[in-house]
Amino acid sequence: MVKVYSTPTCPYCHTLKAFLKEKGVEFQDIDVSQDEKALNEMIDKSGQMGVPVSDIDGQIVIGFDREKICQLLKIEC
Amino acid sequence: MIYDLIIIGGGPAAISAAIFAARKQLKTLLLTREFGGQLMEGYKIENYLGYWAISGVELVQKFVEHLKRFDKKASQGDFDLEIKEGETVLSIRLKQNEGDERESKNFDAQSNKENYQGKAIIIATGKSERKLEIPGAKEFEGKGISYCATCDAPIFRDKIVAVIGAGDAGQDTVWQLTKYASKIYLLNRYDELRGDDKELRERLKKDKKVEILNEVEIIEISGEKFVNGLVYRSFRTKEERKINVNGIFVEIGSTPASMFLEGLLRCNDKGEIIINHDSCVTSVPGIFAAGDVTDALGKQIIIAAGMGAKAALGAYNYLKNQ
Repeated sequence: MVKVYSTPTCPYCHTLKAFLKEKGVEFQDIDVSQDEKALNEMIDKSGQMGVPVSDIDGQIVIGFDREKICQLLKIEC
Repeated sequence: MIYDLIIIGGGPAAISAAIFAARKQLKTLLLTREFGGQLMEGYKIENYLGYWAISGVELVQKFVEHLKRFDKKASQGDFDLEIKEGETVLSIRLKQNEGDERESKNFDAQSNKENYQGKAIIIATGKSERKLEIPGAKEFEGKGISYCATCDAPIFRDKIVAVIGAGDAGQDTVWQLTKYASKIYLLNRYDELRGDDKELRERLKKDKKVEILNEVEIIEISGEKFVNGLVYRSFRTKEERKINVNGIFVEIGSTPASMFLEGLLRCNDKGEIIINHDSCVTSVPGIFAAGDVTDALGKQIIIAAGMGAKAALGAYNYLKNQ
């Protein structure tokens, strides 16, 4: 399961989500600007106060780290 | 395979250069880590032709859509442009040709993935944000320190934050934060707010959430797991004061992304590549540069786009005469 923690204005979140869509990866998009519980969950999991954060089957990726995301999803970059 | 032209970068200068090169039927390769560059973080752009107000993300999307029409596959071979994302160019070298003196020279562009060869190069790598270099700055990056207000401002709802740097970008950051944060300190090095937007300045001065600290510099950032405070010093009184903050947004300018060239090209003391402003050629014939990475006056989207076109035409003329 893939979760993307994002904010609506964040440019790198847009790029990341567009990339996942392009690759046909299903994901849950969580807007942390509207959901304090999800925000705290993101901060707990990642130790980061910044978006985007992705949770790929429990593995945390900070920012739009294309190569790491591809590696974890086992897809071609 | 040898390309006519390799373009390095993914901002307006590189995209415009690629479109012009493709239309000149040059065998072109564009290498970029990602599209957009600094433009991505533009909250609202009001000085690019054709759009009264558009976000950086949207403008980049439109640029990339436009660019991809010229892609070799998408155009079914009408144009000879290849686009490779996820590539960071690590070095450029002049390839020495032994033997035949009439043989034209080539350049090697080594990326994180592959080595590419081109007869000409356009460098359009732009600028990257300048980072704070004080105790705690590295340690707490992403842990309360943010370099992207459009990304992270909404995370600091009802929190106390500080903005470092009070130029146009810093003021804009404060404005974005007023929608979320409960209190915003603006640390300004000068005795009053400077910048282009007088209306915004007046708005910030009147905003009850905003406290402007003039003639100060940040000297330390503290925290445990996350940022909990900062220390600043007054230039006038030399006095140091600690304030409690949960977040720190940094807008202290940017530096040209020319480091990877390792002295190959002549740069000015700011690290900007020195170019001929007619053809955009650098100190090495065959290598051109465009946009914010150069010594051109005015770091603007429209100027970068114009320079990209110029550099592509410069490269076209160079190749024609080889």
